Amino acid sequence: MGFDHFLFPVSVLFLVLVCLDLEYRVTSAPICAHGDAGCHLLSVSDLFDRVIQHSNRMHSLSSDLYSEFEKERFLPVRNQLGRATCKCHTSRILTPNGKENAQRTDREELTQVILRLLVSWMNPLLQFHQSVAHNEELSNFSSNKALELSDMVHELKNGVEKVAEKMQLLGIISNSLNGVFPAEASLSSSASNEASHMRDYELLHCFRRDSDKVQNYLKILKCKIVPEHGC
Amino acid sequence: MATRLVFLSLVCGAVSVSVGEHLTTSEVPPKRPYFVDCRSPEQETFSCWWSAGDYQNLTGPGALSVFFQKNRDVWRECPDYSTAGENHCYFNSTYTSIWIPYCVQLRSQIQDIVYHQMCFTVDEIVVPDPPVGLNWTLLNISQTGQHFDILIQWEPPPSADVKKGWISLVYEPQYRAINMSDWKPLEVERACYQSVYGLKTGMEYEIRVRCKQAASEKFSEFSEHLYVYIPKVPTKETLFPFTMILIFGAVGVIIVLMLIIFSQQQRLMVYFLPPVPVPKIMGIDPELLKKGKLDELNSILSGHHTFKPELYNDDLWVEFIELDIDDQDGRSHHSDTHKLLGSENLNGNCLNIKDDDSGRASCYEPELPDSDMLDRSQAEAREEKASLLDSEGRAAHSSTTDPSPPGRSHPGATAEGASRSHPQIQSQLSSQSWVNLDFYAQVSNITPAGGVLLSPGQQSKIEKTAEAHSSPKTQKCQLAMTTDSAYTSEMDAKNISATPSLNGNEPKVTVSPYTVSEAPASSVPPVSDYTTVQAVDSQQSLLLNPSTLPTKGTPMPAGYLTPEQLNSIMP
Repeated sequence: MGFDHFLFPVSVLFLVLVCLDLEYRVTSAPICAHGDAGCHLLSVSDLFDRVIQHSNRMHSLSSDLYSEFEKERFLPVRNQLGRATCKCHTSRILTPNGKENAQRTDREELTQVILRLLVSWMNPLLQFHQSVAHNEELSNFSSNKALELSDMVHELKNGVEKVAEKMQLLGIISNSLNGVFPAEASLSSSASNEASHMRDYELLHCFRRDSDKVQNYLKILKCKIVPEHGC
Repeated sequence: MATRLVFLSLVCGAVSVSVGEHLTTSEVPPKRPYFVDCRSPEQETFSCWWSAGDYQNLTGPGALSVFFQKNRDVWRECPDYSTAGENHCYFNSTYTSIWIPYCVQLRSQIQDIVYHQMCFTVDEIVVPDPPVGLNWTLLNISQTGQHFDILIQWEPPPSADVKKGWISLVYEPQYRAINMSDWKPLEVERACYQSVYGLKTGMEYEIRVRCKQAASEKFSEFSEHLYVYIPKVPTKETLFPFTMILIFGAVGVIIVLMLIIFSQQQRLMVYFLPPVPVPKIMGIDPELLKKGKLDELNSILSGHHTFKPELYNDDLWVEFIELDIDDQDGRSHHSDTHKLLGSENLNGNCLNIKDDDSGRASCYEPELPDSDMLDRSQAEAREEKASLLDSEGRAAHSSTTDPSPPGRSHPGATAEGASRSHPQIQSQLSSQSWVNLDFYAQVSNITPAGGVLLSPGQQSKIEKTAEAHSSPKTQKCQLAMTTDSAYTSEMDAKNISATPSLNGNEPKVTVSPYTVSEAPASSVPPVSDYTTVQAVDSQQSLLLNPSTLPTKGTPMPAGYLTPEQLNSIMP
């Protein structure tokens, strides 16, 4: 009898672990286990790969969530005026809008843009998750995905910061980034106020766009820093 | 009046119908020109194309114009009407900005009518070109030669800048057999290669690949078809029957083994699991019991001093052990015995106590014996008499040193070497008075004094001994005779005792070790009709001493000892 009592919670736990969509979970695992001396061996290229991989997943998740919200709201077919005119709170951030533009942007600025974008989305996504959690109409899938999304943004921001530190350490980029962040904080707070007024799917639409930007910028940045054939 | 009304109604109906028809035909307006789609193949340029709809007069170039608005700015006309083809508006990279909302409008030439408007962002309309460079390599062929696996590879579309990572594509290959109609899709993956398993040899397959942006849902067009074919390898098929033969042979052998095992189960059981040997008494061969060689058995048993039968005073004469004895030799004497017997029957029960396991007949429990018993006893009596007659005859003829006292060893007249487990009553015998007497006591030992140790013996040996004695070799073979459970007459017993030495002290016969007592050696004692039982052995053998007389001196009644007398005699 005791074994049965023990078995049930274990099986429930097992089912929970299995059913959790672990595809989008990226936890930071230590790459080097031999102390600080070994950590310098980690190349910038590897860091970039990890960060890019993470941003890919984040963009996929945001796309899925957006399409789900789009279906639920029975939004009209694309090419409607309404979709394109939504204003995102990150619109004021100047971002390169093309491949050539991105390639022409220098590394520091590109890194800065990426970080700005990520920082500005941290709070709005958190609020979004909270609003989704309270909304009983939405499925648990959406709520979980929203929570994952906010976590991912946090992790990605940390990752990009680490990459920036590494680059600064290696002298790839200058140390002018540090002055940016206090401004970013103020920006994000005002932006978050705006974001709270947006509706769910508009917010997701904006975030999907911005995650695409982040993804592409990271790739361009990597191509700039790490010399590979074709870059 | 009515007819006019009818006529009017008819006319009105016709008019309304005609009007209705006219209206229905004109309900559907002609289709206006519209944008079919806008597409960006590599997220760097894009193009839109339209259709004139039902306005056939607007199909020609220049009939319609496209205006676009970038980021809600001013409206500008399409920069390139020709590069992408007819009814296409092409925007090159200078006009293309990603993540910026665009709106395009289809206007008439005079720019006063807006037929259609479309708004989008370029990253939403990315539909890549199909992959190129499809090829395949053989991975392996199955052992049967029926199936094979291949690895297909392709290149991303050249227009897409995958290397810089501006676009990230995922691919979906599909394959089918030529004659089939359904395409089978494979996994959607980022890699530019994939394995296809389980294709059949001898069949031609078609393969095609398409791609899309990772986060979007719109696939590209399919690539060019790739054809895969591997002919059947005939050599591999020869292995097939060989393996089948092996398998069937093994199965057959197993079946035969099972049959053998089941049929020979008993033997195999004995072979593999031999029966546990039954506990044996040391020295005794069970074969003895089977063949009825009681004399040896008795000798063996006598060695075990613990084997002491209970002595029931009253039942001493009652217990018998009946053995199945072949009376082949006795049959011949039936004719003689018939004359002798006549009407002789059982007088005293104890005189005719036969070897019978029933235990019913006793001296003290007169019982009507069964007919079997009666017959048997009669037959035995006849045989005895016959043998005795013969032996007596022979004895009379043979020249012996001493006249054999007929009564001496009549109790032991039927002498055998083997011992019986119960005594035969032969207490009173004389040569003439042995009527209806039981002579089935065996001489198991002969004392130096000439005493004969009687023990219950078999009756089947009577004839043998009788015949044995008839031979002149008797005296020489006396040892053999006695040891062989031979029937010795009193004559021979005398001879045996007397011949080996003049003193007659040393018996040559030492058959059984249980000589209870030894009478002192003496010459021929006076013969009496009765031979006293000197001792009774543990095996109920009677030691008859011819020299001794009943101590009590009481006259012996004819035929038997009373139990009181026996008690007095017995130790």
